[in-house]
Amino acid sequence: MALRVVGDSYPRLEAVRKINGTAKYTDDYTLPNMVYAMVKRSPYSHAKVISIDKTESEKVPGVLKILLPQDVPQRLYNSAVITQSPVFIEDQTILTDHPLFMGDRIAAVAATSEIACQEALDKLVIEYEILKPVFDVLEAMKEDADLLHPDLFDSNVFYKKELKRGDIDQGFAESDYIFEDEFSVPTVQNISLEPNGCICNYSDGGKLTIISTSQSPFKDKRLLARLLEMRENDIRVIKPIMGGGFGERQQIHNQPVAAIFSKELGRPVKIINSREEQMYGSTVRHSAKMKLKIGVSREGYLKAMLVDNYLNSGAYANVAGIVVNISLAFTNYKIPHFLGRGYAIYTNHVPGGAMRGFGNPQATFAREVMFEKIAKALQLDPVDFRRKNHVNSGDKIPGSEKTVFSCAMEECIVEAEQIRKNIDLGANQKKPESNHIKEAWGVAFGCHPSGAGTIADASGCLIMINSDGTVSLLTGSADIGQGSETILSQIAAEGLGIDLNDITIIAADTEITPYETGTVASSQAYRAGNAVTQAVEDCIHKTKERLARLYSVDGKEIGFAKGRFTLNSGRKNFDMDLKEVMEMLTLKTGYEIITGSSNYKPADDPLSFVVCWAKVAVDERAKSVQVKHIIQAVDVGQPINPDVVEGQIHGGISMGLGYALTEEIEIDRITKKVLSSDLLHYNTPLALDMPAIHTHIVTSYESTGPFGAKSVGELPTPPVAPAIVNAIYNATGTYMTAIPITHTYYPKGSNS
Amino acid sequence: MLDKMNPLGRERQMLVITLHINGQLHECSIRPELTLLELLRREIGFLGTKNACNSSHCGACTVLLNGRAVYACTTLAAQVDQKSVITIEGISCDQDLHPLQKSFAKLGGVQCGFCTPGMIMAAKDLLDNNPDPTEFEIKEAISGNLCRCTGYTKIVEAVADAAEEMRVKKSLEKEGV
Repeated sequence: MALRVVGDSYPRLEAVRKINGTAKYTDDYTLPNMVYAMVKRSPYSHAKVISIDKTESEKVPGVLKILLPQDVPQRLYNSAVITQSPVFIEDQTILTDHPLFMGDRIAAVAATSEIACQEALDKLVIEYEILKPVFDVLEAMKEDADLLHPDLFDSNVFYKKELKRGDIDQGFAESDYIFEDEFSVPTVQNISLEPNGCICNYSDGGKLTIISTSQSPFKDKRLLARLLEMRENDIRVIKPIMGGGFGERQQIHNQPVAAIFSKELGRPVKIINSREEQMYGSTVRHSAKMKLKIGVSREGYLKAMLVDNYLNSGAYANVAGIVVNISLAFTNYKIPHFLGRGYAIYTNHVPGGAMRGFGNPQATFAREVMFEKIAKALQLDPVDFRRKNHVNSGDKIPGSEKTVFSCAMEECIVEAEQIRKNIDLGANQKKPESNHIKEAWGVAFGCHPSGAGTIADASGCLIMINSDGTVSLLTGSADIGQGSETILSQIAAEGLGIDLNDITIIAADTEITPYETGTVASSQAYRAGNAVTQAVEDCIHKTKERLARLYSVDGKEIGFAKGRFTLNSGRKNFDMDLKEVMEMLTLKTGYEIITGSSNYKPADDPLSFVVCWAKVAVDERAKSVQVKHIIQAVDVGQPINPDVVEGQIHGGISMGLGYALTEEIEIDRITKKVLSSDLLHYNTPLALDMPAIHTHIVTSYESTGPFGAKSVGELPTPPVAPAIVNAIYNATGTYMTAIPITHTYYPKGSNS
Repeated sequence: MLDKMNPLGRERQMLVITLHINGQLHECSIRPELTLLELLRREIGFLGTKNACNSSHCGACTVLLNGRAVYACTTLAAQVDQKSVITIEGISCDQDLHPLQKSFAKLGGVQCGFCTPGMIMAAKDLLDNNPDPTEFEIKEAISGNLCRCTGYTKIVEAVADAAEEMRVKKSLEKEGV
């Protein structure tokens, strides 16, 4: 199909506002009569509050109200979901007198200035009983371990999942070789550059309006309605321009506190997290311990795979149950006998939440590192070993009953190999400076679904066609910086045969846009995109109907292709684009108005695929690792906007690089406190740390996606760390089962 | 130089400073501990400069002070008395976007956009002082600026692209075209 708008790299619709400083993020809003609030967070990883004296705090000029745990509803909630089920545990309160991690909310202050807030927080006199924390999952699982939530569970293991295909014992019996290993991956932060923020405004006494950093405004609305005992209809959540998210804003943060203050003060209340609060007061990617046992035939065919994943959920559950499920589900290989067992475990670490990859970076690391070892042991080429076991179109992955439709993995393999050859040809003359520097490549494969494909997934879209043939596109989709507003507009423009600048998109405002589950699970291109194409179809269908009535013909006689409505029926014929049609329908002949709507419920969550190569130079004398190149070839179906896709790959790679090399939320062994409390003590990659990045988007088409598209958001991150670790293994023979590599090597920037 | 204002109810010595922001003269009465970032965002309303860490670790608040890039979050407003500050709002000329702004938009150097104003200011410092930087020099110049979305690749391309456009423009001007 020849495409006109889809497939072109238009700049982001809001790019100009972002480069001239006029884009408004949460902290850029100041409402009339607005005041500020700040949260007192626990300085201890586990403690009980014995007493709080707020006398001196209340004397600080400008202080309006102080909230202590007893002043707020003590109803338990889950910050990410509203359904109480074995997967989603409700276990936290708005403020607590029993902090379970360093950063837990204890009290809050509202005042006319942030300075007054800070001074009042500092003057709160809190007496604690310091309790013994536990951070390690295996420690927390022991029978004599102190329980974090004894009222809810009689063990710190609060969720278990088993995923079974075939007969694992039979699989191992049929295997010629069996391999076993244990892996460990760290707790890491999302590091969205914009800190979490919210402004809650209940000053008219009737409606609570919230401007906040949120990836799922509709979920926030429902959750807050329940927590604050309000009608959903009395809450409006507006998502302004957002400075990143990466999963973390799937959880609500300070909205309940600000809402209670606003309700009591009758004034808008703004809370913006400090960076320190972002580091340990907001959710992280779950660290994990993983045990793998893999059986293979002599020829290198996978026979059996047994996986035990222990995920550290920190103090609260949030989305840990689903993260456990995902960590087992997406093994993109044909394995006849598979048994995955997953556990979510409470500890006093920073609570886990959604973060790019959602269980997949952990699982992919363990599997792909182990595959490298198996390939080496069987003397098989690492790509051939993976290739011969990889799923193809028509196959099923072990973790799902659904059949894979589109899979262009072979093209990914071939293209990535070509890029790799070209790099090595170019580098031919440049030998490593000395013989203690060893260079090698490492590879990893990966996949990630487009959307969660669960029963909770839905997306609606409304399209209003204006009299001049331009369009207002209303979607609940939350653009958090990834570019979804741009690609959804491209999809609408393509479908309606109009230009991109004929579309005005209105997004993610719970009062005026239709429901959308949220920007979670790499879902927007696929799910919100399909909602747009269905609303477009509705528009076209209605337009044809009106034209048919006008020309007294059957609607079926009217054609629509390449943006033109046509009729060739004897003496009646026309050939018009949407603008001409609307001018006639709306203004000339009877004031017809066309709106289209959709209610899209995904039947599938097709997998996107990636091949990732990393080239490293290891200096065995200095024990340093320099990552020189990362290649990714991806199958994301038809890219709606190739530059946006490429941007997602680049960002995903840098996040994977940090995961492999440097990033970790560390706990001090003596003080039991979080060490990584600022960006200086938590090393995210900077420009000089980046290797050369090479990307390729292969030709592919997913028949269930909008114009053939699948999603890309989370896909690029998981395979990066195993590719780097495999490269180090190939260069040195050092087999590492834990990241970040700082435990063994010193990471060296790309240009030093 | 003294004024009285009391955000916390205490008698405080206030400083009066004068500075140019984006070419316009401002006279401000400030608390001594006020940072340049607070002055810009809170007191005057230049919201394009962002606050992401408030401790000079991320570069989102980068502005030009007498032509050189500084972190506004850890520069005291008192230090900029009699000086010139340029923010992201001040680099377009005559409604026309600065070449850096154009290249960032065109080449995908912008994703969530929160690092963008600071990133562009850091890059402007580079190009104003080094019109033909190498890739390494570009990376070095923006390595005080954290971006979590782009992996920097497209940002580096955008800076190189803008540098070239600025060089071409300059040479055309020299030739009187």
